Amino acid sequence: MDQICIARLKVIFSSRSGEIRAVDEVDLSLNEGDSLCLIGESGCGKTVMGMAAIGLLPKNARVTGTISYKGQDLVAAPEQILRQIRGQEIAMVSQNSANSLNPVMKVGDQIAESLLIHRLCSRKEAEEKTLRLLDSLGFEDPGQAAGRYPHEFSGGMRERILIALALICNPRVIIADEPTAGLDAQVKTQILRLIRERVANGRTLFLITHDLGAAAFLSNRLAVMYAGELLETGTTKEVLARPLHPYTQGLLASLPSAGLHPIPGISPSPAHFPPGCRFSDRCPAVRDRCRKEHPVMGGAGGNRQVRCFLYD
Amino acid sequence: MIELEGISKIYSRGFLRREKTVAVNNVTLSIKKGETLGLVGESGSGKSTLGRIALRLIEPTNGAVRFEDTDLTKLSGKELRRFRPRMQILFQDPDTALDPRMTVRQCVAEPLAIWDRLKPEEREDRILGLLEQVGLTPDLIDRYPFEISGGQKQRVALARILTLNPRFLVADEPTAALDLSVQAQVLSLIKSIQKKTGLTLLFISHDLQVIGEMSDRVAVMHGGSIVEHGAVNDIMNNPQHPYTQQLVAAAKESEAWLGR
Amino acid sequence: MSRKILFWIGIVVLCIYIGVALAAPLIAPEGPTAITGKPLQPPDSRHPFGTNQVGQDILAQLVFGARITLLYGFCSALLAVTISTSIGIVLGYYGGIVDEIACRIIDVVMPIPMFVLLIVLTTFFSPGIIQVSLLMGLMGSIYGIRIMRAQVLSVARTSFVEGARAIGASDLRIMSRHILPNVMPLVMVKFVSSSQQLLLMGVGLSFIGMWDTTTVDWGTMIQNAYSQGGLALGLWWWILPPGLAVIGVSLALAMIGYSFEDKFNPRVEVNRI
Repeated sequence: MDQICIARLKVIFSSRSGEIRAVDEVDLSLNEGDSLCLIGESGCGKTVMGMAAIGLLPKNARVTGTISYKGQDLVAAPEQILRQIRGQEIAMVSQNSANSLNPVMKVGDQIAESLLIHRLCSRKEAEEKTLRLLDSLGFEDPGQAAGRYPHEFSGGMRERILIALALICNPRVIIADEPTAGLDAQVKTQILRLIRERVANGRTLFLITHDLGAAAFLSNRLAVMYAGELLETGTTKEVLARPLHPYTQGLLASLPSAGLHPIPGISPSPAHFPPGCRFSDRCPAVRDRCRKEHPVMGGAGGNRQVRCFLYD
Repeated sequence: MIELEGISKIYSRGFLRREKTVAVNNVTLSIKKGETLGLVGESGSGKSTLGRIALRLIEPTNGAVRFEDTDLTKLSGKELRRFRPRMQILFQDPDTALDPRMTVRQCVAEPLAIWDRLKPEEREDRILGLLEQVGLTPDLIDRYPFEISGGQKQRVALARILTLNPRFLVADEPTAALDLSVQAQVLSLIKSIQKKTGLTLLFISHDLQVIGEMSDRVAVMHGGSIVEHGAVNDIMNNPQHPYTQQLVAAAKESEAWLGR
Repeated sequence: MSRKILFWIGIVVLCIYIGVALAAPLIAPEGPTAITGKPLQPPDSRHPFGTNQVGQDILAQLVFGARITLLYGFCSALLAVTISTSIGIVLGYYGGIVDEIACRIIDVVMPIPMFVLLIVLTTFFSPGIIQVSLLMGLMGSIYGIRIMRAQVLSVARTSFVEGARAIGASDLRIMSRHILPNVMPLVMVKFVSSSQQLLLMGVGLSFIGMWDTTTVDWGTMIQNAYSQGGLALGLWWWILPPGLAVIGVSLALAMIGYSFEDKFNPRVEVNRI
């Protein structure tokens, strides 16, 4: 049964340079226990997707389509319902940027806050749960850690704190936005292992990243996003072993281990998409049709779907 | 061409300068002309500090830095400044590497203006030529950094560096903040520039896979010291030091996830 | 949105003040000290604000007084900001022992209340307006140095400044072409707030009679009205105009300063996409 079903989702921002179609008709669904990775580069709209799934889009965003969670449409839901769902049922591990943690609030307080907001237990119980969670996430002295401030921790430890923030109310769905950004190779592996063991087990994971290695390690399904739309979906193993869309092939070729072969050109600006296929001006297999007609998502055998005229 | 001999950098803090942190501990390295030396290590290993010391942007506490037989540490401020065009640095964070109040044109023209190279009329052509060389379209010339993407900013930074025809480039994690395909673009650009101009490159990164693709020789840094160095294939296939072995194992593991 | 409105209100009001001050000879051709009517006359068609105790036109005094008050306010602010910016940039860029010593000195000087110190100095040396303006500028700069230096520190440690050094830019070039333009927003805000502060301080000093009491500015006008019985006799047209004028310009400057805040203060949340 679908736990989360995203149907014809569109997120449009209005700006001085016109309409910005950050997410342009995306269909995606997650079953309970799935680990789906949305892979794409900066500006493709994947973070906006994550924000939409948790109802945290800014006020100037126009959203159409539906995101149904357990039968409830999150797009149309009133803020009250969204606030109940956030943290308790669907939680987000936000990007590890400078302002993802409150710099003037102790770490332990920040983590316990979620429990107290949802009135799930008393303050004392909240503190105990926080300490237990920090212990399970690899903090050697949870008591001391809880009493510190975010700037006293290294990048990897801060990521663990962000994970704790998401896990504390024991949600069913976790959205993880670039959990390994800015981390050293070794710390990255530790965090990925941590997510797999402590976060993903039994829960539904919606991973958003541009890191193919993280996608390969954590997810069992993969969706490739580019310029606001999905280009290819399928199981992670299949997509990585036999990529169909030229963009996916290009991404895999630009890996260091594959020789750092670049895809020429840059992603189109979200305010001016080219007519026809949005990847056409960078595609090695481009034909006339690609520049004029816009391809739709079509089946390509099994659970795979691809948006490309090569497979029509 | 570049020789670092017995370089140490010790930071003293606190009242009366009593707290000491050793960032770089007695490092000796050399880089041959035209070669790429990869410097790999985790955050805090001292690699960025070492890279800057190689250009004497940071003063070493001990040791000598020789650039083509000239000891940089013995030069005066003025003499050092005159040396600068030959050795350049490419930074990690494209968002802070360019002056936010200068257009692309002004950024790339600045080295020409400082060193009074080329008449002002000729500068425009040179700037356009450089932008083309780094793969940027000429319409970006009047844009401000906040209007262009991270990858484009790094290219502008490269164009600016290339105006002076440097012989030595320190690339300090230049693609750590960039997406996968943009990283490939910037790195292959650096490689092609190197092929054309015979640039000597000190490539600093925490990503062993990238280092493996970019370097001829590799030096592994941990806790301020070089724990191992050698030809890239030797390091990748036959690491000797336990720390290097850890790094190689982690890199091989990520490759395995991707089925390669 | 509201910041923009505040900004424009402040600017318009300030322009009116400056315009009036510049046009003073046109508004009151006889000058501020000419005796043009009977003493203590309430407002009428010839004297829109009435006259003071010797028959001088209050409106004339107001518009000519504006020149002096605005002048010492802005000039001393300009001096203060120029000094604090220059020193702040040099200290923030070079750092080192000089910076540490300078900061300790500033730490010692800062708690001394400027106003009191000025009173003491003017009592002993009875300087004229220009000297007092200079003094206010010098002392006002001390407080500003700390703020400018902090902002310079955050700019000086960025990669692009390091990059400028790497391409061989001289220190002077870096400070003037890279650091200064990037702290300009703060400089402008400091100028506006210093103007407000020093203008008020100047009015206060002249109210106490710290300089030549025959110069007509708003401080002396208020002092005059106060000491010559304007308050006691309830002669509102004498006290209110200079008082309201001071409050008005102060508010205008405050509004402009407030509206600038979001441009340079990174902690002020601005909703952008």
